[in-house]
Amino acid sequence: MSPTPATTIAPVRPELVGDGFPSKPRQRWVEIATSADHKSVGRVLITAALGFLFVAVIELLLMRLQLAIPENVFLPPQTFNRLLSLYGATAIFFFALPLAVGFFYYLVPLQIGARGTALPRVGQTGMWLFAMGALVLYASLLFTPPEAGVNPLPPLSDIAFTPNNGTDVWLASAGLATLGFVFLAVDLVSTLRTMRAPGMAWRRMPVFSWAGAISSWLLLVIGPVMLAAIAMLMIDRNFSGIFFDAGSGGAPLLWQHLSWIFYSGAYMLVLIFALGALAEIIPAFARRPLFHRGTVIASLAAIAVLGTLSWMQNMLSAPISIGWMYFAMTMSLALIVPFGLVLFNLIATMFGGTLRMRAPLLFGLGAISVSSIGLASEIGHSMVAVAWQLRNTTDATAATHYALVGGAVFGGFAALHYWYPKLTGRTMGESLARISFWTMFAGVNLAFFPLFLAGVEGQVVDAYKFYDHTGVNAYNMIATIGSFVLALGIVMTLVNAVRSLKAGPVALPDQWGGESLEWFAPSPPPPYNFDVLPDVRSPAPLRDIRDAVAERTGDRARAGRTGQPVA
Amino acid sequence: MAPPRKRSLGLALALLLLIVSLVAGAPPAAAGPISPKPPHSPNAEDINTLYWIGLVAIVLLITAVNVALLYAVRRYRADRGAEPRQVRSGRGIQLRAGAALGLLALVLFVLSIVYTEKAREAPPTGPNGLQASSTLLAQRSLKLPPAGDPAPLRIDTTGQQWLWRYDYPNGAFSYYRLVVPVDTTVVLDLLSTDVVHTWYVPELAGKFDAVPGKINHVYFRADEEGTYFGDAATFSGASYAAMRTEVKVVSPDEYQSYIEQQKRDIDAAQQHVIEELKGGTAP
Repeated sequence: MSPTPATTIAPVRPELVGDGFPSKPRQRWVEIATSADHKSVGRVLITAALGFLFVAVIELLLMRLQLAIPENVFLPPQTFNRLLSLYGATAIFFFALPLAVGFFYYLVPLQIGARGTALPRVGQTGMWLFAMGALVLYASLLFTPPEAGVNPLPPLSDIAFTPNNGTDVWLASAGLATLGFVFLAVDLVSTLRTMRAPGMAWRRMPVFSWAGAISSWLLLVIGPVMLAAIAMLMIDRNFSGIFFDAGSGGAPLLWQHLSWIFYSGAYMLVLIFALGALAEIIPAFARRPLFHRGTVIASLAAIAVLGTLSWMQNMLSAPISIGWMYFAMTMSLALIVPFGLVLFNLIATMFGGTLRMRAPLLFGLGAISVSSIGLASEIGHSMVAVAWQLRNTTDATAATHYALVGGAVFGGFAALHYWYPKLTGRTMGESLARISFWTMFAGVNLAFFPLFLAGVEGQVVDAYKFYDHTGVNAYNMIATIGSFVLALGIVMTLVNAVRSLKAGPVALPDQWGGESLEWFAPSPPPPYNFDVLPDVRSPAPLRDIRDAVAERTGDRARAGRTGQPVA
Repeated sequence: MAPPRKRSLGLALALLLLIVSLVAGAPPAAAGPISPKPPHSPNAEDINTLYWIGLVAIVLLITAVNVALLYAVRRYRADRGAEPRQVRSGRGIQLRAGAALGLLALVLFVLSIVYTEKAREAPPTGPNGLQASSTLLAQRSLKLPPAGDPAPLRIDTTGQQWLWRYDYPNGAFSYYRLVVPVDTTVVLDLLSTDVVHTWYVPELAGKFDAVPGKINHVYFRADEEGTYFGDAATFSGASYAAMRTEVKVVSPDEYQSYIEQQKRDIDAAQQHVIEELKGGTAP
């Protein structure tokens, strides 16, 4: 037997091989339902999120059809309001958040060289709570769907104004899902704290794992805030509580503060996820190390803190004192610095690199382009006097959708194309990915850019109709056409993902020449993730291995190409 | 390789300059679809000025990101055959980039405060306005003109599902349509009797929420007679989209006669009901 390689530090866990394994594999659904493996749980979350993306797109299309022409009667107001409420809950709680959390939950243990998570049953419970939330929300289609809007503000969401149990459905499903995300975050935080591989110091963790750590801590802060708000509104509705009842000494604005803390944090979480994924994808496809790791990681942390502290940016027309408005403006204008620095470093990474324009990079660059428009437009919504004009107009819809479609859909699809080989052992079809990307890119601009212009004309959000002769007819028609184009592009990628499960080209363990440890595991990884682990001596353990191999085999071209900092 | 690089960089710069000059240089009225509705009160004018400042910053940032992105994609393709440069950034570049972004944020912050403070000032009633005199209450979130000037006209504005009700100083009231005198400082005291509503007439002022249990204020001084429309801007239930409002700006004399006529009509209607009740013919 040859001597043990220098990089090997841990042997296979003996209980995971040999006789202990059941000889007959259990049925697939039993395996999925009972497995506490972070990869199984992560896959369920990602799959469910993509399924709910499809559902959200259908809801969006129905609403856009109603808003195609002025004073349309395609949908009755109540149906529109129900679709609106379902769309809001689905897009946030059942698409964007589970997609981000799912990818983190699947990849962070792999990236830090762990053989599992620290509290697998807690994470599994989180997944089940999320699934129950989704079940509650869509079971309501059989009786009373929610109809109190995207963010059900009391008093409208109180029992006096929405007496049917649709709002209770919203509260229960959002509450279950949020609790689930908090459980998953608890598991991730513990895993990151205790299960990093030898040598995987915090400073050597991949940027995506840092994004996972920041997002998990963020969820531990904002999740309980939302749960408190939900509990209070449930008490108000069902047990004659007075938390939000102005007439009895309660404060309707309290809900706005608590819910906007959560929504602002969740908005940032989705963007932190997308930027974290891009910080892995762009270096891999430009074959250059990230321009400055430290700045990107620090900026992601700053985005989480400042973004959550700017929650009152959503309340600039509410009766709060001007000092608080300036506080919110300070926090959200300060976000220009960390967001700008992350984008600067991502783009600077490409300068001097050699770009392989494959699907993950294409979607990644699309994510930067699309979300940059939304994030820059948010500046207008932070400047107090401008917000008085533009807040709650379709200009805000456009800004939010540019930022979140850029982050969650383009960024999420970039992550999907990049890690699909790791998740499934196959790669996604490249040509369909390209067609899908360009369709989506055209669609998102057609669907949301006209809404900027309509918002400047004064069209308000969430309304089931708009009026003729208000100068927004053309904008709405283009937006409706654009949303169909966007939907077509999204469906193409979803079809691609399903088809490639069986038909995709078989993937290598290290499909793209990545630098972090997940590419050290086979594709897909076995339940225990790694047979052996390399000694982690830098933020790029796989690059170290390639360099060591090059040195031993005398590959001069390859050797000595390790990234060196310039002064 | 040098000439193509120069050309695309020049192209990118030209594009940037073109967009910036288009946005910053064009007179607001001529800018068409990106221009908000023409302001008809000093507050709305201040808001609009700040909007144009913000728009320049927004377009600048979007252009910078996307031009850099396009340039990198065109310039650094793998098929150019070069080896990727394995260099990382030093701390100096990051500090300078951060400082530049911080400076932009600071400039926007200062300008926002300056124009928000201006937009927050209730403009004093002009010579053509209604010269009313009433005692003023000090307001926390509203900067009112000095005591010597003509007092603003205060109108209680109540949001309810799905109508706006306006209560004038003489006891008259109207639904949906607000009638105000031109060139007069108007303060709307926003109240809500049920859920959260937002009063929003783009030409006259920004949007402000009516929240149960709180009083909020809208203030404007309409500079021209005319009719301005607005929508409620916070989702308020089934008929939210139908909750519109109309502000009719008239001369002070017309305003006076309108509210007096309205008062007479309301009193007459009430008298009619009282008589029916007394006579036992009420339904």
